[in-house]
Amino acid sequence: MVKERCTSADCRLCEFLDSKPELETSFNREPKQSVKCGFGKKGVCCRLCSNGPCRITPKSPRGVCGADADTIVARNFLRNVAAGAACYLHVVENTANNLREAGLGNYATELKGLEMLDELAELFDVEAEDVNEKAVQVAEKVLADLYKPRYKKMELVEKLAYSPRLKKWKELDIIPGGAKSEVFDALVKTSTNLSSDPVDMLMHVLNLGISTGLYGLHMTNLLNDVMLGEPEITQDKVGFKVVDEDYINIVVTGHQHTMIAHLQDALITEEATKMAQDVGAKGFKIVGSTCVGQDLQLRGAHYKDVFAGHAGNNYTSEALLATGGIDLVISEFNCTIPGLELVAEKYQVKMIAIDDVAKKTTAEMLKFDPAKAPEITDKLIKAAVESYQNRRSKIEIDIPKDHGYDDVVTGVSEKSLRKFLGGNYKALIDLIASGKIKGVAAVVGCSNLTAKGHDVFSVGLTKELIKRDILVLSAGCTTGGLENCGLVSPSAAKLAGDNLREVCEELGIPPVLNFGPCLSIGRVEEVAVELAKALDVDLPQLPAVLSAPQWLEEQALADGAFGLALGLPLHLALPPFVTGSEIIVDTLTKNLPEITGGQLIIDTEIESAADKLEEIILDRRSGLGL
Amino acid sequence: MERIYIDRQLCEACKGCMLACMAKHNGENIDTLDLLDTSNQSANLIEQSSQGEVAPIFCRHCDKPECVEACMSGALTKDKETGIVSLDQNKCAGCWMCVMSCSYGMINKDTNANVAFKCDLCKDREKSACIENCPTGAIELIEVGEGRA
Repeated sequence: MVKERCTSADCRLCEFLDSKPELETSFNREPKQSVKCGFGKKGVCCRLCSNGPCRITPKSPRGVCGADADTIVARNFLRNVAAGAACYLHVVENTANNLREAGLGNYATELKGLEMLDELAELFDVEAEDVNEKAVQVAEKVLADLYKPRYKKMELVEKLAYSPRLKKWKELDIIPGGAKSEVFDALVKTSTNLSSDPVDMLMHVLNLGISTGLYGLHMTNLLNDVMLGEPEITQDKVGFKVVDEDYINIVVTGHQHTMIAHLQDALITEEATKMAQDVGAKGFKIVGSTCVGQDLQLRGAHYKDVFAGHAGNNYTSEALLATGGIDLVISEFNCTIPGLELVAEKYQVKMIAIDDVAKKTTAEMLKFDPAKAPEITDKLIKAAVESYQNRRSKIEIDIPKDHGYDDVVTGVSEKSLRKFLGGNYKALIDLIASGKIKGVAAVVGCSNLTAKGHDVFSVGLTKELIKRDILVLSAGCTTGGLENCGLVSPSAAKLAGDNLREVCEELGIPPVLNFGPCLSIGRVEEVAVELAKALDVDLPQLPAVLSAPQWLEEQALADGAFGLALGLPLHLALPPFVTGSEIIVDTLTKNLPEITGGQLIIDTEIESAADKLEEIILDRRSGLGL
Repeated sequence: MERIYIDRQLCEACKGCMLACMAKHNGENIDTLDLLDTSNQSANLIEQSSQGEVAPIFCRHCDKPECVEACMSGALTKDKETGIVSLDQNKCAGCWMCVMSCSYGMINKDTNANVAFKCDLCKDREKSACIENCPTGAIELIEVGEGRA
């Protein structure tokens, strides 16, 4: 009997799940959690003091302390966004530290993106000549900003932000002080009986959005480019077909690609290959999963031998372990869903956490330290070999080799796209001006199981948008879903409207451009900045929209706050937990266009969401006289 | 004949049933329901008993409903087949005899009009909104025989 389960846009994945009646995953748990607490959904449950939990109803419009719905919702929302910002700031902090240690000679890894290092050194006025010294100084500039107190503004904001935006942010007084201090004071502000002002708290949300976007996303990408090599446009395999049972397969879950810089090079050395061969395998492969898999795919041109290809997004990871082909899971950040532990136990997959922020109950802790990289790599390799030896004779291997695609276009970044277009964005602007491409929509972020099912809304919305000749740029787990549903392969051009189809077929590209991990939402936004610069307009005038239809996490909310600070319209298919406050809802959905130029659009239906996004694009086009 | 049955042990007092009831009677969903609008009304209640225990209170659609007995305008009727005690607000004169006669306090004045307001067991829906929105399964419809109050 087939168990009740949530659906997915990825039919082959559904078939695979149904073929394993004894396997329990998030897909089976979702129906059992489908009744939601209305107070939690609306954000009007307060647990900040011992008088609580207080909940707002028409008969009890204030908590015991006197806090009304607006205050309670604002506090909860700012706490969510602060936690999300903290997550991305953790990533950029570790990334900058790893670059610094590499420059100091303490992290045995080769810098693969020296061109980007030069660009950053120039942008940050670093005068060092020596490559390593340059790396140290660039990294220290980033770290110094992150560690500033709240009363000192972060210096690189001036260098990283588009000037009309900078001006707007200064007017609104939302330029962040030290990013970590801003998170710290967001917690202070929202604690028991401190701020009650919803508008001040919303401004703090925008402030956190700026540090999330410019540092957590954009800066992490650039520092990763220096350490791991810049993205180059290429094609790659995706889906479960990438798993080759003849290899010892390692899955890394997380977002901190620089933590495996040493490991991924060591896995393809003769010595490591020999260790694998000694136990009957051909060698080692890293199988892409979650955002670090998307990041490896993005930089795939540099990792042809070690990277097997991207298997799938966050909610595909449990099923990936159930193929039996994975021998070791290394967790370093989200999205390492707790359900992985149950599946890992069932399929005897060894789990090791290398950052305690992603410590799973059943995982061994092996804390990453750049200075001890060779020792850690050695332990990881030995653990993978041991796990392979222990489990392969006992576990059934069932890899659906017909799951996925062979020709996903990857490696798109703000720079590689510019290069592809001939050195500047004029070609894209001409296509937009001529109407061949009506506008651009970034369909980004996570996947969840609740916006109509796994990847259902993202895939549906993307299809609607491309049908209307709107070019889709994608990043994050959203992309993982779009890839496994065929929308990132050149053949998807046939699903586009006549004009976009013609452009895609002429250039041999899919109608969805794949920027890789969720960190690359920063790259997508950089493309918007490049277009705005070329047209000499500010971002709110561009025929460009954002949608994070299947947002999942607090991180996504912090990302979204950046989009709103940038002045972009942002669609979500599920509202954040704020609908209990009229002030918050009205500010985000109605008043924000007058404040930052951005706007939150909540629409739970695919077609009407596409209608609204198209309408904005058409409106912007006419504003530009197109 | 079906009757609402409450398992008090399962009730966590989340008030989800009240939200669902308010949303249903105002043609809203929970996301759009305005919690500051005092005209929003729930037919069921989660209260605290005198012993400090959680007390979910729902209309029992009694076999011999006092409210129906007391209704002079004919607005309140009991369907012999389904057992549902229904209120026709068009016929209600607003005399409040029903309010005074219900031992359980489960019929009240409608906050939007000068008529009574009570649980209709969501007879227009496949499943009652309160049952649908109860995360613990504390509310259910059970088949009962005749003669239970």
